[in-house]
Amino acid sequence: MANPRELDKRRKSIRNMRRITRTMELIATARFKKAMDRAAAATAYTDRITKLVADLTQAGLEVSHPLLEPRDATGHAKLLVLTGNRGFCGGFNSSLLRAGLSRWQELADQVPECSLEVSGKKGIAGFTFRDQSIAQEFTHFEDKPAFGEVEVIADRYLNDYTSGNLDRLDLVYMKYESISRQSVAVETLLPLGALVDDAGNEAGAETSTDRGTSSTLQYEFLPSPESILEEVVPTSFKVKLFKCFLDSAVSEQIARMIAMKAATENAGELIKGLSMQYNRARQGRITSELMDLIGGVEALK
Amino acid sequence: MATITKSGIGHITQVIGSTFDVEFEEDQLPAIYNAVKVVSEHKGVKINLTGEVQQQLGGGRVRCVALGSTDGLIRGQECVDTGEPVTVPVGEATLGRVFNVIGEAVDGRGEVKVDEHWPIHRNAPPLDTLSTKTELFETGIKVIDLLTPFVRGGKAGLFGGAGLGKTVILTELIARIASAHGGYSVFAGVGERTREGTDLWLEMQDAKIGDTGRSVIDQTCMVFGQMNEPPGARLRVALSALTMAEYFRDKTGADTLLFVDNIFRFSQAGSEVSALLGRMPSAVGYQPTLASEMGALQERIASTDNGAITSVQAVYVPADDPTDPAPATAFGQLDAFIYLERSISEKGIYPAVDPLASSSRILDPQYVGERHFNCARRVQMILQRYRELQDIIAILGVDELPEEDKLVVLRARRIERFLSQPFLVAEVFTGKPGEITPLADTIRSFEEICDGKWDHLPEDAFMYVGAIEQAEEQWKKSKE
Repeated sequence: MANPRELDKRRKSIRNMRRITRTMELIATARFKKAMDRAAAATAYTDRITKLVADLTQAGLEVSHPLLEPRDATGHAKLLVLTGNRGFCGGFNSSLLRAGLSRWQELADQVPECSLEVSGKKGIAGFTFRDQSIAQEFTHFEDKPAFGEVEVIADRYLNDYTSGNLDRLDLVYMKYESISRQSVAVETLLPLGALVDDAGNEAGAETSTDRGTSSTLQYEFLPSPESILEEVVPTSFKVKLFKCFLDSAVSEQIARMIAMKAATENAGELIKGLSMQYNRARQGRITSELMDLIGGVEALK
Repeated sequence: MATITKSGIGHITQVIGSTFDVEFEEDQLPAIYNAVKVVSEHKGVKINLTGEVQQQLGGGRVRCVALGSTDGLIRGQECVDTGEPVTVPVGEATLGRVFNVIGEAVDGRGEVKVDEHWPIHRNAPPLDTLSTKTELFETGIKVIDLLTPFVRGGKAGLFGGAGLGKTVILTELIARIASAHGGYSVFAGVGERTREGTDLWLEMQDAKIGDTGRSVIDQTCMVFGQMNEPPGARLRVALSALTMAEYFRDKTGADTLLFVDNIFRFSQAGSEVSALLGRMPSAVGYQPTLASEMGALQERIASTDNGAITSVQAVYVPADDPTDPAPATAFGQLDAFIYLERSISEKGIYPAVDPLASSSRILDPQYVGERHFNCARRVQMILQRYRELQDIIAILGVDELPEEDKLVVLRARRIERFLSQPFLVAEVFTGKPGEITPLADTIRSFEEICDGKWDHLPEDAFMYVGAIEQAEEQWKKSKE
């Protein structure tokens, strides 16, 4: 027979936990809505710009830009892992960490010089715990990453890439597919070649019905194709990176929402079980004490 | 306590359940604990009953506890005072035989010829003869050797609720210890299933001691007062067995093993007759004399300078509640305390020893050495932390834990499984031959798990193996 007081104490502490998880679920829901709106707003712009790049390539133009050319030898690689600053979001951080670690090992095996950049306290803690040195840490991205902040990072990568200090940039983040589906994505952002191909295919598939009209579109470049590309290609990279940050933020909130919902339910279950045990233990005590009393009285007769 | 009084003949005046009153002549009153005998044949009903005097009621009447069935007992029947307490045969001739509470052979192999009979009520060995040696007693069972090391010449208790495997562990210990043991063994079956007793008896006939070619039973005597017996028999059978063990200790000086299954039934039998004897029930309906009865029995199971009795006792824990007075009283008497936990047996981990609730007096660097002690403490600390985290894991999931705690959980789950072990006597259930793991291997294995050397093995690999290398083997085999 368990100690009723002990059981009651445990039940109280679990009640408190449930109160916290329920609140966090509500907060996550609110934040998710906001982050979702921002992501949706950015999606329109990203889609447009990738489509533009796709159109340009389909226009039969000779596209050549340093960011699009794959390097012959990869001497310097960089891995950026986007995780959350906070826990309580189920497998969000740990699955990112797992994917990040395996890609990091791969890179370390293939490329002579690698550097690791991590956003989010949880990711930083995870890599530090496994004795991986982190070149750059970001903890200022919460659920509302601003384009300005991302642009700073993007610019630095672009500069490194063009100056030859960086040959490859990989990104690990949580891709938002729908409210019920987010998946860990490991992508190579630089060189941009892959991105443009993808975008081209996507855009091509989307516009397959009116392909006849779009593919025959004639572009006139003013002042020159080079100057336009000079502007469009870096922007497309930045936008892409920004989109990843936004995706990550949305996914984190969704993960937290779901995790906290489950946690609240689990706590409820536990409380139910403990209440049952508590009542039984309490009643058992009363019964046995009554029995003792009655037994004693009977024996005295 | 063995007082010889002048024998007298009395008549039964009252029968209440398993107790009865006898009226003697005032000057022929039998002493307390004297055995009285009723031998008669009335209307074709044969009665051969022994009783033990418990109270003198005044007016020449005494109240006795029957050590057999009181069926057919009639008021007015003659009852003879034997003039001494119940005695049992002792000596080498008792080896290989099976007895009941009053020392009659029940294995159908005729009478036992011995030179001596000893009364079952005796005094505990005096203070100055008690042995003060403390030495570890290796069993080859990992969890017991590591966390609850047995003391040679000490007492160990196996506590557990119904169906957790107390009897299995006890039989396993008999198979391990008795078969490697040079001295004598005495087994007391107190209020458990008769079938288990028979199984054990047959098994002991098959089992051989080391490579001497002799059966274990040749060095063992067994005393049974099982579930079917009246409370009086269950109350005294442990004493009968103990008396035989005491003879071996005092007269031969050999190391003697005493196995008792189940000491709780002794307390239970006491409570069954207590009310009939007119004592007022105490806490949870137990007899008010619970502690003194237990003390009188346990204090006699002691090692002296002459010889040692190493005892292993199973203790049933009613309703899984260790605070129940009966197991709580037994608890205080023991050197090593093994608590079997239902939640562990539910995971399919046997022996279902609770590594945190179990303890041993000699788990102390002074006796087992620094290395063993530190290893045991580390294992316990990891498991303790895991238990503390259990609520958080149940609510939030393992993913929410900080990295350090995740590692603790990972190792704790492996340690938990590694504490299981295939048993010699459970080969039919596990399909694996029993493992006897030397203490050195046990300590090294657990140290390596704590150090994280085996984190890469999956949890299942740790189930039912001996030393850690076998876990690796098992894993490799399962991959093929």
